[in-house]
Amino acid sequence: PLFYKGWYHLFYQYNPNAAVWGHIVWGHAVSKDLIHWLHLPLAMAADQWYDKNGVWTGSATILHDGKIVMLYTGSTTEGVQVQNLAYPADQYDPLLVHWVKYPRNPVLVPPPGIGPNDFRDPTTAWLTSEGKWRITIGSKINKTGIALVYDTKDFINYEMLDGLLHAVPGTGMWECVDFFPVSETENNGLGTSINGPGVKHVVKASLDDDRHDYYAIGTYNDRNGTWIPDRPNIDVGIGLRYDYGIYYAAKTFYDQNKKRRVLWGWIGESDSEAADVKKGWASVQSIPRTILFDKKTGTHLLQWPVEEIDSLRLKGKEFNQVKIQAGSVVPLDFDSATQLDIIAEFKIDSDALEKATRSSDASFDCATSGGAAERGALGPFGLLVLADERLSEQTPVYFYMTKGSDGNLKTFFCNDQSRSSKASYVDKHIYGSLVPVLRGENLSIRILVDHSIIESFGQGGRTVITSRVYPTKAIYGAAKVFLFNNATELNVTASLKIWQMNSAFIQPYPNL
Amino acid sequence: MTKIISLFILEAVFCFTFFTVSYSDINLIQTTCKKTPFYDLCVLTLKSDPRSSTADVSGLARIVADSVNAKAIATLNQVSALLKSVKDPTLEKALEGCIVSYNTIIQADIPVAIDAIEKNNPKFAVQSATDAGNEAQACENSFAEKPSNSPIFSGNKAVHDLSVVLQSIASLLL
Repeated sequence: PLFYKGWYHLFYQYNPNAAVWGHIVWGHAVSKDLIHWLHLPLAMAADQWYDKNGVWTGSATILHDGKIVMLYTGSTTEGVQVQNLAYPADQYDPLLVHWVKYPRNPVLVPPPGIGPNDFRDPTTAWLTSEGKWRITIGSKINKTGIALVYDTKDFINYEMLDGLLHAVPGTGMWECVDFFPVSETENNGLGTSINGPGVKHVVKASLDDDRHDYYAIGTYNDRNGTWIPDRPNIDVGIGLRYDYGIYYAAKTFYDQNKKRRVLWGWIGESDSEAADVKKGWASVQSIPRTILFDKKTGTHLLQWPVEEIDSLRLKGKEFNQVKIQAGSVVPLDFDSATQLDIIAEFKIDSDALEKATRSSDASFDCATSGGAAERGALGPFGLLVLADERLSEQTPVYFYMTKGSDGNLKTFFCNDQSRSSKASYVDKHIYGSLVPVLRGENLSIRILVDHSIIESFGQGGRTVITSRVYPTKAIYGAAKVFLFNNATELNVTASLKIWQMNSAFIQPYPNL
Repeated sequence: MTKIISLFILEAVFCFTFFTVSYSDINLIQTTCKKTPFYDLCVLTLKSDPRSSTADVSGLARIVADSVNAKAIATLNQVSALLKSVKDPTLEKALEGCIVSYNTIIQADIPVAIDAIEKNNPKFAVQSATDAGNEAQACENSFAEKPSNSPIFSGNKAVHDLSVVLQSIASLLL
């Protein structure tokens, strides 16, 4: 993804032939505002020996003179992963419709000691203090995930650094590695080459082994091209995830137009492939999210839907101070609740928290819990989305608080798919994770609902969960929203705003 | 004299090497199948395919994929035959659903799995194998006469279990 001459570009992995994986080429779409999109012709097809078996992930770098170079992984006719260079056929075309591949590709092949299938997804380059361009490429050695580092002046000749950017044992292959700076103090994104005081660097990897995206915040050493995590116990691949639901192969870019770092992610399907083949399509892109360092916790990133999404809000309704007694469900008067933006805040009586029973069982986990039906002293409570009137189908998005034997409170943010649909072959797992809640903070959730896609942001985006649900009854005019509180020792008060969301505008580009 | 000794040594080396190759590929089949939940099924399937004697793990995955495909085609044929003479509307509906499931396995899941194994992007093989197993399970679940088995129970079970084996072996390639 990139912003160039007034247009946002998204290049994406696409199979033009079927609604299943295969024959991967580069799709291309453009927008001036991330809301109105035009589908352009395929940017790159698998037409060379060095990408015949797949035109896989790549990254764009904008050079000093404003020109763009694209590095991408090709899978050769022999199935070897190599890095190739491509650039726009016409740098003056703001739509970047046509692309040219460097005639002497590949520019990088797997180095000694690296397997031919463990070398892919080159990052956007950043400048070193010596004025060279530096990239990182994910790989693995046995079961240790690693990030290799290369310096280049021309994107054609490279020198591999002796050391690795970083490595974490037991994490397996690192795909779609991303490396970018975040400001510890400012509320804007940073260009990929920025470094200095008040700047931390994020290393992110998509783990092939579990199909989740992990990140860690740390410190980059420009001289030797290495990076160390601030907290090794939550290092890359063993700590925080961008998203605790179905969300993978995500990638950021620096939007120099609005000075923000924007994250795109791939949301797959969690229904059957039979259904995908029948409906004729599969997979969606998430709503783009801005990324900021969370100054309050210092340990997390904050993700939030881009502000442009607010322009899709149609009619809205406000519900103030709705009391939800322990063990109750409150219907909200809002019809056709299939395309929604919900911003909700939950107040809990602090006395109730004080008095609540301590639990000696400190092992709550959204995934292994009984979902929203499992009652605890201090949870679950939250919203039911894509629910029908009789609640025969419902997807709860909620908080679950626990109080340890030491009196310490922990808050979990979960999304429960177990009763999301009467259909039998859809994923019914429960997603979620701990969410840090600081003293004095109310609990807050933002949810974007779009028929079968739910993106939920807890505590301003500290913990995010994306899920796909496929209701059979809670659809179109029959879909409703509820507040619920299934805790046993807690009354909750909720205030929220709900908006109907317009559909985005997506069209083919005419005359191409 | 030297020639005879050399020949003897050469022959001894050749025999030893031959013995080592046979032993180690059975070993690969065993160690690979131990990492699947259906060891006996896995070993039987691999051993009955001559390609397994020279296959690496990727090749073993390919053999299992082909076997899932063959079993799926056989089961699909059974379903089609049953559909020709079915009278009960509930049974007919279940059988029609199974046609969809098995068409998905044969036209989508297995080709994607084989493609992903060949292109060294095994997680898509894992995903497709998982789906194939789920499709077979969904077909079995759609028959009303619980707790007894459907008329195509053995086909569904074979496809399901082999898909799980494929999923496990493809996971080793990650």
